[in-house]
Amino acid sequence: METKKILRLLIAEDDEDDRLLITKAFQKCIPKENITCVGDGEELIQYLNKTSLAENCIFPIPDIILLDLNMPKKDGRTTLQVIKSHEEFRKIPVIIFTTSNLKEDILITYTLGASSFISKPSTFGELVKVTKEIESYWSNTVLLPT
Amino acid sequence: MKIEPSNQLSKVKIYSIITLFLVVVGSAVSFWVANRIKHYTEALEHTEEVLRTTDQLYAIILERETNIRGYILTGEQAFIKNYENSLAKGDKELNHIIFMTSDNSTQQELLKKLGILIKNRVRVFEISISYYKLFNTIDGYVSPGKIANAITSYREIKLLIDQINGEEEGRLMDRNESLINNIQVLPLVIGLISFFSILMGAITLYSIFHYKKTSKISAEKIKDYQDILNEKIELLSKSNNELKQFAYIASHDLQEPLRKITSFSDLLKEQYDEKLDGEGKFYVDRITSSTLRMRLLINDLLEYSRVGQDSPESINPVNLEEVLQSVLEDLEISIQEKNAQIKFKDLPVIQGKETELRQVFQNLISNSLKFSKKDVNPSIAISSSLAPFELIKENSQLDQSISYYLIKFEDNGIGFDQSYGERIFIVFQRLHGKNSFEGTGIGLSIARKIIEKYGGIILAEGFPDQGAIFNVVIPKTSNN
Repeated sequence: METKKILRLLIAEDDEDDRLLITKAFQKCIPKENITCVGDGEELIQYLNKTSLAENCIFPIPDIILLDLNMPKKDGRTTLQVIKSHEEFRKIPVIIFTTSNLKEDILITYTLGASSFISKPSTFGELVKVTKEIESYWSNTVLLPT
Repeated sequence: MKIEPSNQLSKVKIYSIITLFLVVVGSAVSFWVANRIKHYTEALEHTEEVLRTTDQLYAIILERETNIRGYILTGEQAFIKNYENSLAKGDKELNHIIFMTSDNSTQQELLKKLGILIKNRVRVFEISISYYKLFNTIDGYVSPGKIANAITSYREIKLLIDQINGEEEGRLMDRNESLINNIQVLPLVIGLISFFSILMGAITLYSIFHYKKTSKISAEKIKDYQDILNEKIELLSKSNNELKQFAYIASHDLQEPLRKITSFSDLLKEQYDEKLDGEGKFYVDRITSSTLRMRLLINDLLEYSRVGQDSPESINPVNLEEVLQSVLEDLEISIQEKNAQIKFKDLPVIQGKETELRQVFQNLISNSLKFSKKDVNPSIAISSSLAPFELIKENSQLDQSISYYLIKFEDNGIGFDQSYGERIFIVFQRLHGKNSFEGTGIGLSIARKIIEKYGGIILAEGFPDQGAIFNVVIPKTSNN
């Protein structure tokens, strides 16, 4: 019997409060050490460039990326484009996690290769529900590349 | 400066007509005067010729006398020849005068007399010549009586010729008396007419020039107004865009901190529930309910701001009875809960967007259901008719040249004082505390905004504790 996979999560979110809330919510189903946060697109790319497959590496490759759209320096759209045109990183599923619900944003991110588009819930309860669904879906329902 | 180019133009026209009239009158008068002068000149020439001919006749008569005397004194045949020539010449001149005065009976009468006198005189001459030829002298023929006769008849001839001349001159004077009297005034009359013609011409020219100038000024003014209008339109569309942006900001940027307040208070409640005492829990609940209400307000405001924005839905004939049916289906639970009676009949089909019209019906009916009396089953009657002209006339937003439907929503709810008839349509305005009735108070504002977009109006009539009537006035053919 297969053991349950523990997801490794990389969150790109410029808002400190949101980072805290999202991390708190995910911590209900994912251990703290499996969750990494970066403040913008540039930091995210820098992080990915430092990753390696080696065991106990301080920069492990994430299983999924949670990407905010509106961020300083490099915004979510550009960052998504960079990830999806990278030979190695393009295989990592990217979940857009944003306050925007604009049709154009939804269309362009899916076109660029996003795996999901999720509008940030407005209460903590709902946020917990959504993070649980994400965790359950990506660790149980689907198979990820290794 | 008030500019009326059309007035200026009619002035120019009037001036031109007056000028033309003056020129025509001036020309007619001049032509008439020229004709009169020509006629007078001809008459004058005629008279002069008559006078000259009578003078010649007189000269011939004198020549005759002279030749006769010469012959009698000298017996020279040359005198006789001259005398005989003068006879023919005299007849010719006399006939000429008779011909020239043929239209004057007085003159003909005088000439007849003259002819007889001349003939008599010639006869005396002929006798004298015959006597001389017979006796080679005139002695014994001439007597004092004959001499007296000769003098008398000569005088008579002279007198008659003077009379003929006088008659001719008199006739000339009689016939042209008015012309001769007016000939001094005529140049003045023509001069005056010419002066006024020139003056009117000048005024016309000035008016045309002025008109052109005025038209130019009006064109410039119109252009200025157009520029101002364009500026205003630009400003309006700019402020419209800003408003849309504001709505976007309100919905997104304002929701952001709100979401955090909610989330952190949730988190607080979740993680520190045991540590909070009764009052602490109460405060957190107040924070949660306030943020919930704020979110409702923001969402409603956003919805309100979206009314009137372009939507992809096209304009179609919308059957309002079908719209109402589907609204009633949507509100089924609340209708059943309140045991409400909803009646309607003969609702029209109008041009519009179904979503918008459905929202109007939904908001009005929900409003009636919400403000029903606690102990009475709500009853709502919806009817339609053509809007009476007085109603259209009373409301300046309506166009008197088109027809409207009047759709009445009558309920038996708690009603309201008529002084609040307008206030209830203002965004977030409420007549009751938010604890007594749920909702933010935007439903009626949205309904009104939609109907106004269609070129119609909504009017509310309130009867405290009896009910309310909402009158929706909407164009028969929508220009949406």
